[in-house]
Amino acid sequence: MVEPKLYRSVIEDVINDVRDIFLDDGVDEQVLMELKTLWENKLMQSRAVDGFHSEEQQLLLQVQQQHQPQQQQHHHHHHHQQAQPQQTVPQQAQTQQVLIPASQQAAAPQVIVPDSKLIQHMNASNMSAAATAATLALPAGVTPVQQILTNSGQLLQVVRAANGAQYIFQPQQSVVLQQQVIPQMQPGGVQAPVIQQVLAPLPGGISPQTGVIIQPQQILFTGNKTQVIPTTVAAPTPAQAQITATGQQQPQAQPAQQQAPLVLQVDGTGDTSSEEDEDEEEDYDDDEEEDKEKDGAEDGQVEEEPLNSEDDVSDEEGQELFDTENVVVCQYDKIHRSKNKWKFHLKDGIMNLNGRDYIFSKAIGDAEW
Amino acid sequence: MAYQLYRNTTLGNSLQESLDELIQRSSLRGCVTFTFSQSQQITPQLALQVLLQFDKAINSALAQRVRNRVNFRGSLNTYRFCDNVWTFVLNDVEFREVTELIKVDKVKIVACDGKNTGSNTTE
Repeated sequence: MVEPKLYRSVIEDVINDVRDIFLDDGVDEQVLMELKTLWENKLMQSRAVDGFHSEEQQLLLQVQQQHQPQQQQHHHHHHHQQAQPQQTVPQQAQTQQVLIPASQQAAAPQVIVPDSKLIQHMNASNMSAAATAATLALPAGVTPVQQILTNSGQLLQVVRAANGAQYIFQPQQSVVLQQQVIPQMQPGGVQAPVIQQVLAPLPGGISPQTGVIIQPQQILFTGNKTQVIPTTVAAPTPAQAQITATGQQQPQAQPAQQQAPLVLQVDGTGDTSSEEDEDEEEDYDDDEEEDKEKDGAEDGQVEEEPLNSEDDVSDEEGQELFDTENVVVCQYDKIHRSKNKWKFHLKDGIMNLNGRDYIFSKAIGDAEW
Repeated sequence: MAYQLYRNTTLGNSLQESLDELIQRSSLRGCVTFTFSQSQQITPQLALQVLLQFDKAINSALAQRVRNRVNFRGSLNTYRFCDNVWTFVLNDVEFREVTELIKVDKVKIVACDGKNTGSNTTE
């Protein structure tokens, strides 16, 4: 098992060693502290080892605000070796000092985010570490819609983080697709549809491939009547494409969708955007497509969609879950093989297994090939 | 120079990400000057220096501060030896430490030559 102390001491050593380099380059000490804070926060977020001092940090957060001038003294004293045996308190104070201007949160939830743009969004959400991991694995198809005001007034925010991952935040975890009529809208022809998207909650159980469920609503006004046409999309299609596509379909879909909610998919396999129309030709084409899919494209490539979907046979991809690739990084003393029996003598390794970190000074293993 | 092997660990990756963030911030703030210190942030060259320092620190920490032993057993799926680096993929592995047992379906082991740690010439 990894003790946080070891990681902590490594961080301290690195920070202290690069301090000179920073100063030589004329970079301010504050940047160094910021690096340290970022580093520690990422560590806290990612690994399941007993968080460095997450709990203590929150406790001390209020205290630190009062003792800021004192902490600066600690900060200066940190150069000395004496600070290290004192261990947690001055180190936490040091990190507290930097965190305060960055976060400005009285009671942070489990996750403390140093980046200012993420702070607002992660404020009251119930995003756990698993949820953040799930959102990080979102496919790139989800466009970064900045803010979405839902029917019930929930403010959803989609933020693109610095590393390219997208976070979708929702103040409340409960998601309800509400079919409400907005009486404020004035009748008189068909108005521009109010597309409202409710993002489903993101518990840790959602698979990475379907991380987002977008359920647009269409509200049509014709005269005095108001019709609410909910349409559900269960695929992570681009939000903007949905808006434009559903906007186009609005007058056409109106008579056809009076009955029950239809599953609307405007891209991917359902590329024919006017699929729900009662055009028989289109339906016929769709049937043809399906038949060709099943036959495996005998005629060659008349339609490009159904093909190549089953060509991939590599088994590695089946096993490969990008959640945690268990990795061991180490050095080898001796690798031995007899026929198909292998023996490993390893040393000084860091392992990440099932999401957690372990360290060893020696490892001995056996395997059959 | 110490092995750069440990950069792809939780510790190393979080450091690299943090450095990347700081580098990107400097490029964004090139036009706007709030305080002088914030407008500068760090250069990629500086980040590289930090990583090199990290390599030294982690290598020495592992060599000196860690004293435990692990055993493991599994089935070998693939093996590769290239540039004096062994890469194995094992399946259905059990890692055994005195305190606990860890089972994984698949694990990748990357191992550099441990004889003469830092066998590359030191600068």
